[in-house]
Amino acid sequence: MPPIVEIENYSWRYLRAEQPALQDINLSIEEGTFVGVIGPNGSGKTTLANSLNGLIPGQYQGIKEGTVKIAGTEVDAYKPGELPQMVGVVFSDPEAQFTAMTVEDELVFGMENLGLSLAEIRERLDWVTDLTQLKPLLEKPPYEISGGQKQRVALAAVLAMMPRVMVLDEPTSMLDPVSRKRVFDVLARLKRESHNTVIVIEHNLENLVPLADRMILLHNGRVALDSETGLFFRQAATLEQAGVYPPGGIAFFHGLMQRGVYTGEIPLTLDAAVAALEGLIENRRHE
Amino acid sequence: MSDMVHSPYIDVKRMSYCYPDGTQALRDINLSIDHGEFIALVGQNGSGKTTLSKCLNGLYKPTSGDVIVDGLNTRATSIVQMVRRVGYVFQNPDHQLFSANVWDEIAYGPRNLQLPKDEVKARVEGAAGIVGLTADDFEEHPFFLTKGMRQRVAIASILALQPHAIMVDEPTTGQDIPQSLEIMNFLQHLHDEQGYIIIIVTHDMPIVARYAKRVIAMGQGQVLADGPTADVFADRAALAQAFVEPPQITQLAQRSAHLGFDARALSVEELVQQYFVLRGR
Amino acid sequence: MNKTLLGYVPERSPIYAIHPFVKLFFLLVASLFPLFISAPEWNFGLIIFVLLLMLYSRIDMRIMRIYVPVAISMASIIFLAYVVLGGFHPEFIEIGRLLGIRVYWERIRDAIVVYFRILPMIVMMVFFLNTSRERDVIVAMRTLRIPFVVTYVFAMALRAAGMVIEDFGIVRQAEQARGFDTHGKSLPYRLRKYVMYMIPLFALSLRRAEEFSNALIARGFAFTGPASKIKRADYVLTHYRFTRLDAVLTALIGLAFSALLVLRYGFGWFTLDRSVFLPRLEDLLLHR
Repeated sequence: MPPIVEIENYSWRYLRAEQPALQDINLSIEEGTFVGVIGPNGSGKTTLANSLNGLIPGQYQGIKEGTVKIAGTEVDAYKPGELPQMVGVVFSDPEAQFTAMTVEDELVFGMENLGLSLAEIRERLDWVTDLTQLKPLLEKPPYEISGGQKQRVALAAVLAMMPRVMVLDEPTSMLDPVSRKRVFDVLARLKRESHNTVIVIEHNLENLVPLADRMILLHNGRVALDSETGLFFRQAATLEQAGVYPPGGIAFFHGLMQRGVYTGEIPLTLDAAVAALEGLIENRRHE
Repeated sequence: MSDMVHSPYIDVKRMSYCYPDGTQALRDINLSIDHGEFIALVGQNGSGKTTLSKCLNGLYKPTSGDVIVDGLNTRATSIVQMVRRVGYVFQNPDHQLFSANVWDEIAYGPRNLQLPKDEVKARVEGAAGIVGLTADDFEEHPFFLTKGMRQRVAIASILALQPHAIMVDEPTTGQDIPQSLEIMNFLQHLHDEQGYIIIIVTHDMPIVARYAKRVIAMGQGQVLADGPTADVFADRAALAQAFVEPPQITQLAQRSAHLGFDARALSVEELVQQYFVLRGR
Repeated sequence: MNKTLLGYVPERSPIYAIHPFVKLFFLLVASLFPLFISAPEWNFGLIIFVLLLMLYSRIDMRIMRIYVPVAISMASIIFLAYVVLGGFHPEFIEIGRLLGIRVYWERIRDAIVVYFRILPMIVMMVFFLNTSRERDVIVAMRTLRIPFVVTYVFAMALRAAGMVIEDFGIVRQAEQARGFDTHGKSLPYRLRKYVMYMIPLFALSLRRAEEFSNALIARGFAFTGPASKIKRADYVLTHYRFTRLDAVLTALIGLAFSALLVLRYGFGWFTLDRSVFLPRLEDLLLHR
């Protein structure tokens, strides 16, 4: 089985841009992985996301080098309307993504575009509203629901199309912490219950890090770091140079690491951080 | 007769605000804000924090109670007089930029105040200087600038009004960390070097921990906590009601208090220092 | 009352039991009635009929207050236009003079006839907009088998309008926050300055347009090509059933229209000569 996402020697330069947005990208993602992509603004994250879903080169003009394959087929070899069935995208602006006049219509829109039957639509609608807890909102128009709720609708609308790969481009950047958590709760549930490949681009690492199996750092259009999450966060110096500020717990252990008093695993959640700290202090006491 | 009683710059007395359709947004708010403060207004969406901030500069007039700014009651004062005292920077710069070039954009405010031409020029240049815009930028069309630049132009256009207090709505949303720090450092500079009162409306708790001296936590239209940053972060009950959590580093400190850490730590550096102190024992 | 983009709709109403298609059909057909009716008293009766329908539908009649100034200004404009610029025929009867202009009875009569033709159409539109949620309009269009692209563009226009309305409020406040104040300024000044609101709204729309169209593509939507020709399940229609009542109402509306035509062209009803009101008014104005 080839990896679900295979990117080889890929470069993309937008027309009229001086620099390529992405250079020499080599990435291979196995199906079912939960990947986090981070990096400063302008590092090429959105370009990468759009390269996976066919918007590049479909909607944007520029020069492409190398290959981007989803499930073994080049992205531009898919016929129009086929790629959204493989790769679903959630964008960052909850307002702009909501295209219908009620929540239910929004959820059903993608499924109708795929030509699904009424029975199939009903079934998927049930499943997706349960997963995202949107049942009470089905009849509501967009101007009566919050940004966080709209993002959950976007997530649900894309999930209803059952793509094999989900790409989320800064899905929570415009949301408050409570709404943010709810979106990640859905992603956590998705991770537990299904075999989707999920790629999340984010600035806010606190919620992402516990879920990600693998983290990729983009910097100036190149992959600066790519590894399993625990190993990823050991690279304190590289992360700092790239302008990445990990969550407090991780940053604390970086601080200790940099002063040479810690060589253990970097805890990825608050609970793990507390436990690790307890371990350290207890150890000192026993010395 | 000398006035021995110190009066705050912004005084909110038993203020309530009801939207035109009847929903109660703010209930019986009492606050006072002095010169030299750096305040973070936190709370979840719908808590009333944005409504409160708009009441502080006269964009909204209270339905009961009073908001007194620099001795003027917002209900009895024109908006033009109010914005000279309390500036408000909206979250999305695109909601306000409409001029064909950066110069005119920044000059808009002073021109509204009917200031003489050379005064307008001085203010534009001054404001632009503070946010780091150069003479080359003046001819640019705001629409084509990057988001960060547009935000700076928006801030400059408020600075040109030379208010004493600036409120910024979500200064860091949608920015990456280096950009967020840049904006916050401006605001800190304005506070430290130029004596502005800074009020940020935000839910970025690490930023609050790093820059704000005072935190006002809101929920359900009321003030749930109001005090120095570390104190408010320690008030778990109020924060929970406001649907807000302290930054992760403070949470780590709080949960490690039993090991000897100070639960009021606000930064990684602090906690690391504490570790070495504890380790040394 | 719930606020929709189209107007205020009642929370509960007997009208919701009727399929949206019937409401749209009523609007389209009944709006044609005044075109065939010249006698103002009949058109006035039509207005009363629609107002009664509105009462029955539990619409809050206070919304009609918004339209009163519109009705009055329209009446003045039509009246003045006809009196000053109306047609001339040597047999016109002169009633008097107004500021040196000759006022002819026939012109006044024509103004009244036109005014009472336009008014029912407006009232019917208000009735429609205040009993239809956005979804109802879309469902009505789909039932009429209007191509999906057209109905969807309409739905997107509604969505876009909603976003613009929300943005407009924020833009106004943002301008106020920079000292922009129209209090006590003249109307032409305000109009000039309002133009500047358009620019941020335009900029916001442009920025959103890219994400909006990307979102459409991400949902598998295609305007052209094989993907656009698939058969859609039209899930939203499952919420609405076309009942016998709907069929009966549709038939009634159609019959009423046919009856109108027969009476008008077969029997000469609703014409000016058959009017009872106009001759009385004429007598009154000529002091007979």
